[in-house]
Amino acid sequence: MKANKVAVVSSAQVELRPRWGGAQHIDLISAVVSSVFKGIGLTLDDVDFIIDSGSDVLDGRSISNCGFLGAMGAHHKEESRVEEDGLWAASYGAVKIASGAADVGLIIAYSKPSESNVNEFYSTQVEPFYQRPVGFEHLAASGIQAQRYLADHALSKEDMAKVVVKRWQDAANNGRVQIDAVPTVEDVLASGDIAKPLTQQMMSRKVDGAVALLLVSEDIARRVSKKPVWITGMGDSIDRHAFSSRASGTLEACERAAAAAYKKAGWTEVKPSVAEVSASSAVTECMVLEALGLAAKGKGAKLAEQNSGTAINLSGGALPADPIMATGLVRLSEAYRQLSTPEIYGLESPTSAVVHGAGGVGMQTHCVFTLEV
Amino acid sequence: MGRHVGIVGVGQTHHARRRTDVSQAGLVREAVNRALADAKLTMDDIDAVVVATGPVLFAAVNQPEKWVADAIGAHLKPLVRITSGGGTGFAGALGAYYQIASGQHDRVLVVAYDKLSEGALQYSISTLYDPFWGREFAVGIMGFSAAYWRARMDPLGHTEEAAAMVAVKNRKHAMSNPYAHVKKEVTVEEVMSSKELAWPIKLLDVPPISDGAAAVVLSCESKAKESTDRPAWITGMGYFCEADNPPDRNMLLSEPLALAARRVYRAAGITNPRRQFDVVEVQEPYTCFELSYYESLGLCEPGGAAELVASGATSAGGDIPVNLSGGCMGANPIGAVGLIRLIEAATQVMGKSECIQVPNAKCALAQTGGGWANLRGVAVLQA
Repeated sequence: MKANKVAVVSSAQVELRPRWGGAQHIDLISAVVSSVFKGIGLTLDDVDFIIDSGSDVLDGRSISNCGFLGAMGAHHKEESRVEEDGLWAASYGAVKIASGAADVGLIIAYSKPSESNVNEFYSTQVEPFYQRPVGFEHLAASGIQAQRYLADHALSKEDMAKVVVKRWQDAANNGRVQIDAVPTVEDVLASGDIAKPLTQQMMSRKVDGAVALLLVSEDIARRVSKKPVWITGMGDSIDRHAFSSRASGTLEACERAAAAAYKKAGWTEVKPSVAEVSASSAVTECMVLEALGLAAKGKGAKLAEQNSGTAINLSGGALPADPIMATGLVRLSEAYRQLSTPEIYGLESPTSAVVHGAGGVGMQTHCVFTLEV
Repeated sequence: MGRHVGIVGVGQTHHARRRTDVSQAGLVREAVNRALADAKLTMDDIDAVVVATGPVLFAAVNQPEKWVADAIGAHLKPLVRITSGGGTGFAGALGAYYQIASGQHDRVLVVAYDKLSEGALQYSISTLYDPFWGREFAVGIMGFSAAYWRARMDPLGHTEEAAAMVAVKNRKHAMSNPYAHVKKEVTVEEVMSSKELAWPIKLLDVPPISDGAAAVVLSCESKAKESTDRPAWITGMGYFCEADNPPDRNMLLSEPLALAARRVYRAAGITNPRRQFDVVEVQEPYTCFELSYYESLGLCEPGGAAELVASGATSAGGDIPVNLSGGCMGANPIGAVGLIRLIEAATQVMGKSECIQVPNAKCALAQTGGGWANLRGVAVLQA
């Protein structure tokens, strides 16, 4: 039996800001849920189900989806919470539609890390008996990854700082992200060591935000959209939790996730028009591009700067704006916009995209989508 | 519709108040080992994993699936965690169901657990409420459950005696469940005279707090026969919610449950639930909920629940036995309970229940729920 096709036909996102002080979670969620229907000819009544991503820990609230059901428009509908990055929520929604069980799914992800302690969000993920007591957590993992990567490929901190500057500039140009000033290479290098060799600004900046997408079946897509963006492949993979057991110098789970998605899509070569990827540091941004097959090993930094062939993270990606739990779904939303309205981004007839989301300490888990128009 | 999906292997731990001999990861491993053995498979045969747990505050490890993945050999496989309060085990299985129905995967392992001895349960539940206006008067989950029950007493006749009969029945059934951690029969009089916790809820209306895990292997049709000649086919499954705050809700009937039942029954061809189901498993966090479920699930008319339980129809040997496993009264590892209800319903139609087997059972109903009684799921399993 052939699975039904699934398309993205609309997306909405609030501006990503370091702090949305005047808005509660429900305000950010309501804002994207009400605007995702604009100009599409569908209403909340047409939505069969809702899948959402968020974190009880960041929200300071058990079963926090319960408190946001009204804002999500979920009343008397099917709803489930995926407590991973929002790209996994989209994956759930896509398989539900592909099975033929539903036609219209509303996918939502949000977070307000400004109200929480991000270091604790990561450190409480760590295995509690052996790793947590010695203080091993996300920053330590990121620093170790960075040392290995720079040493393996004879790269410098300056090379990483250039990637950061490029991303912030792209976010200022194209992203829906609050950027007060784009840092210079000197600024990035002087921003203070946080996990040597990484400086503060080489880590992704945590921001508040919310994003919503409409996924629909082929029949609905043809009715409501002139240019549906089809989800043609999905894959995800989790690496070992024990950091010392993971393959060194590479993101093996990201490679697996990408291989699975490309296989589903029938891609024999990886030449997408657009790539939107998540990363928790400038170094993992390069490693993700390599794991996705977009750059050769050690050449991720060069690609990240040049955008040759594939337009990489035109939105700025996760370095200037990382709304934990929503980051991957923001990438899907951005890639959808680049494929459906390329003129906004100065793109000429893009036909395909790779979208990447991740989660966990040192990016333990990865999810990859392929999109085609 | 998509591909057929069946349950081909099940496993659960021997639930206990406090499992000090294993960590969360060890607990999960136990259930997974049993489910894989039951399905005659190894982790190599599994395409993807779904982990489901209650709120992470229950056991103080954030995103614990990332830790337990190593313990079950799930590394480099697709793995996702689905959460949905008390019904999370069921919600996880539903996510896995679609992964197979869509053709994305052929075999998916679902594991659900909670290790409630490691956290402050009612405190954690209290953080469910709105931080600005809900928490001052929220006391765990019992306060509003008591209010709901009181509201149903006069118009629907859900008396304390009727609820006590549920406690007596389920605790009696739990006597023959090898995985139950509370095995003690009680009488209606003992329930009625047990300590008031939040009237009308009394101590023996309340299930235990348990450590435990459960796992199932779901399979597509073509690979199911490698595991069993008689899978439990999922012929309908849904999980609906209600967004309104408690004061605005219908207290007499669970609207999301009635909605879920209507949709799922239509998919499974159920027109007369009382006659068509051979056996029913429900998640009853307090006895009063089981009475309410009878009515929302259409096992009797609204107002008929007290008479139904009193008639013995829902007891072992009755025509519509409910919770032959003992339900939550036998064991209550919250995050696993929704999946345990599916397991107990599935093993009935597979003809291999380790509890009281209904002879020749062919059609079973499983119900689950969570949140502040606003998340409700229903599944129909058929031989």
